[in-house]
Amino acid sequence: MDLRAEFQAVVMANLDSLFGYARVLTRRTSDAEDLLQDVLLRAYRAFGSFDRKLSVKAWLFKIMKNAYIDRERRRRARPVEGEWENGDERATDEERGARTLPGEMYLYVPLSPEDILLRHLTIEGVREGIRRLPAVWRQVVELREIEGLSYQEIAEVIGKPIGTVMSRLSRGRDLLRASLQDLLSEREKTGAHDL
Amino acid sequence: MICKVTRAEIFQYLDGELSRGERAQVEAHLRSCPDCSRLVTTERAFRATYLDRLRPDPVPENVRERVIRLLDALPSRQSSPSRPGRLGRLGVMAAMVALVILGGILGLSVRDVWKGPNASVIQLADASVDQHQKLARGLLPFDIAMASPRQAEEWFRSKVDFKVSIPDLRSEHLAFLGGRISHLTGVDVVALGYRVNDKNVSLFVIPEEQYRRLGLSETPKFKVVNRRGYEVVVWRSHGTGYALVSEIGGQPCLVCHSPEEKLELTPAPAAHRS
Repeated sequence: MDLRAEFQAVVMANLDSLFGYARVLTRRTSDAEDLLQDVLLRAYRAFGSFDRKLSVKAWLFKIMKNAYIDRERRRRARPVEGEWENGDERATDEERGARTLPGEMYLYVPLSPEDILLRHLTIEGVREGIRRLPAVWRQVVELREIEGLSYQEIAEVIGKPIGTVMSRLSRGRDLLRASLQDLLSEREKTGAHDL
Repeated sequence: MICKVTRAEIFQYLDGELSRGERAQVEAHLRSCPDCSRLVTTERAFRATYLDRLRPDPVPENVRERVIRLLDALPSRQSSPSRPGRLGRLGVMAAMVALVILGGILGLSVRDVWKGPNASVIQLADASVDQHQKLARGLLPFDIAMASPRQAEEWFRSKVDFKVSIPDLRSEHLAFLGGRISHLTGVDVVALGYRVNDKNVSLFVIPEEQYRRLGLSETPKFKVVNRRGYEVVVWRSHGTGYALVSEIGGQPCLVCHSPEEKLELTPAPAAHRS
């Protein structure tokens, strides 16, 4: 089969996911597009030797993560990954919560799934809750809940041990519940019914 | 939680990340612990209601156009014939075997195999594989299980507005696990789970209108796509679309029969045709 045609089909089938992950990493649409194009060129060069038994999505995400780190190294002369990832990990939960999720209660009393179900959030409301997560946890939650990657695949993409994936996922899920509670509170205050 | 099973293990269980032995331990605990059992039930409901329906945000149209131009400008290359060729043959065998088992009762015959996926079929195949993995890991619980194919067919008749024919092949090699209403590329479909000699096989029943939107030609009848180690076979029969996902190299005939036998596929017996 023509490799380019196969590659085009793979990219188009995963384009939304790839661009979404680029936005999570770069946090800017224009940077995300540059990163995406860089990744596509890198991936095409290696596509011939890609093991078809593996997840192509996880493979592309891993290339993207590496490309992102390379870009930031070039840009700042030191890896920014260490800044925002380890920086967040060194922070206490309270500091993280205060910085990213204003309000204290919901960090300690996360909403239960049952409550969320009973209070009828929409899919878009849950998506918004994920968008509000700090990048470190949003990345893992998105890779798991939206992209359906296994723990091992996520570990390979983000270049961390599987134990780190599990702890970030656990924390990310708690923060998501908190974020959803925040959204529900906003809805109840404003009387809006579209979350 | 004061339990033998930790909350972390419950989430690993729900994520399909435990070994068979660990799963059995958690399931044994769930049978005797109402608190953990309730946690699992609500988490599953939460996932089915929200998380399983999440899709990535669509890429902006201008970005999509630039990506298409970039892809078109890539230099043309040919893939290496050795490894993909071998994998491809194994995969086609596996999928065709599954088709003979599952498709025979649907009144199908394997006449030829198509090898030219377009983007819409790739998208359907990827979504089918995602769903298959979630079904196989127990992340998507069946709406109806512990039922015969006929009972399940009856159940779906009142739930969906398109025809659902469920294979009812009596074979020790094949077990019908159950079915659920699921979502493939934003469309309601019926997802059916089978075990074929200890391997999972998923069959998705797609409304004809949605199948037509794939823009597939009538011939060849069966479109076979290899995605992430799975064979996905897409076809239409009697006004209904189907997508079947099976694992490469894990089909019963690879254990019980020679590869030569498996390639000698013939149309399904007349008695099985509708």
